[in-house]
Amino acid sequence: MKHIMVIDDSPTIRTSVEFALNGLGYAMDQAENGSDALEKVKSIKGKGEDVALCIVDINMPVMDGITFIGEFRKVDRFTPVLVLTTESEEGKIKAGKEAGASGWIVKPFKNQDMMDIVQKLVK
Amino acid sequence: MIRSDNNRFGKPLYILYPGDHHAAADNSLIATVVGSCVAVCLYDYRKMIGGVGHFIVPGSIGTEGIIADEVAAQGITSMEHLIGEIVKLGGDRKSFRATLYGAGEFSGDHGLDNVAGSNIQFLHEYFKLEKIQVAREDLGGNYRRKIFFCPRTGSSFRKILMNNRDHSEFMRLESEYINGVFGNNERFGKVLLFD
Repeated sequence: MKHIMVIDDSPTIRTSVEFALNGLGYAMDQAENGSDALEKVKSIKGKGEDVALCIVDINMPVMDGITFIGEFRKVDRFTPVLVLTTESEEGKIKAGKEAGASGWIVKPFKNQDMMDIVQKLVK
Repeated sequence: MIRSDNNRFGKPLYILYPGDHHAAADNSLIATVVGSCVAVCLYDYRKMIGGVGHFIVPGSIGTEGIIADEVAAQGITSMEHLIGEIVKLGGDRKSFRATLYGAGEFSGDHGLDNVAGSNIQFLHEYFKLEKIQVAREDLGGNYRRKIFFCPRTGSSFRKILMNNRDHSEFMRLESEYINGVFGNNERFGKVLLFD
């Protein structure tokens, strides 16, 4: 079973992303911050299963999105990480890209755009 | 938004215009005037950080609720902007408390029925999904409201403006903001795929 991990401190956003990607055939997992996500990714991989994609917010308590991407890249260089955030400043986008993000969506997102970019990234 | 340091309160006063949001942890005041729009005052009672967002959900929400609705997504994003600012200051939505104002109903609003009802529905669904306690709400009615909020204490004060000529400049700005939001067909954010 392949998983998509949705990392956002907002349950509303996590659920709306799951709604948009419903039907892609992935197991959907949720984490409320970067630290929570690292633990959950470790647990999934410990069971011999794969994470196909992480979708991560930037502004979160405990561990923010940029820090998560940096930590995640220390243990996984290849799994795509898609940022989903209200942040659209060039500096933030550059920092995300340098940390190892694969793509960037500025909220609000169109369900079809989310579906299209996710399909490209997990291909 | 403008900041005033020379005012009768003796502390910095941030005046929000329609569509603005602001968060702070200092001994300042945030003020705004709402008619059809909503003003959400959020307070992190553990960290003593608060903020206000002034926005409108531009239209009716479908029967599947706010999760599946692209109109409601505009409201969710407005809330995300406000919450993001509070989180940047060290806040955490697990200790948020909300006070809700606005969603006044005025005849002939934006050519759509029940915009106020739609905004009230959005707020109720959103705060239920987020599990954020709503300490107080003062929504609906056919009057405008002037709101003051102290981000350090989380206390808010509301004055009802029965005379529609009061703050007419503010009402003009709200009307321009609402027309802009309702007329915007490019409501969604950009999508970037890195190499």
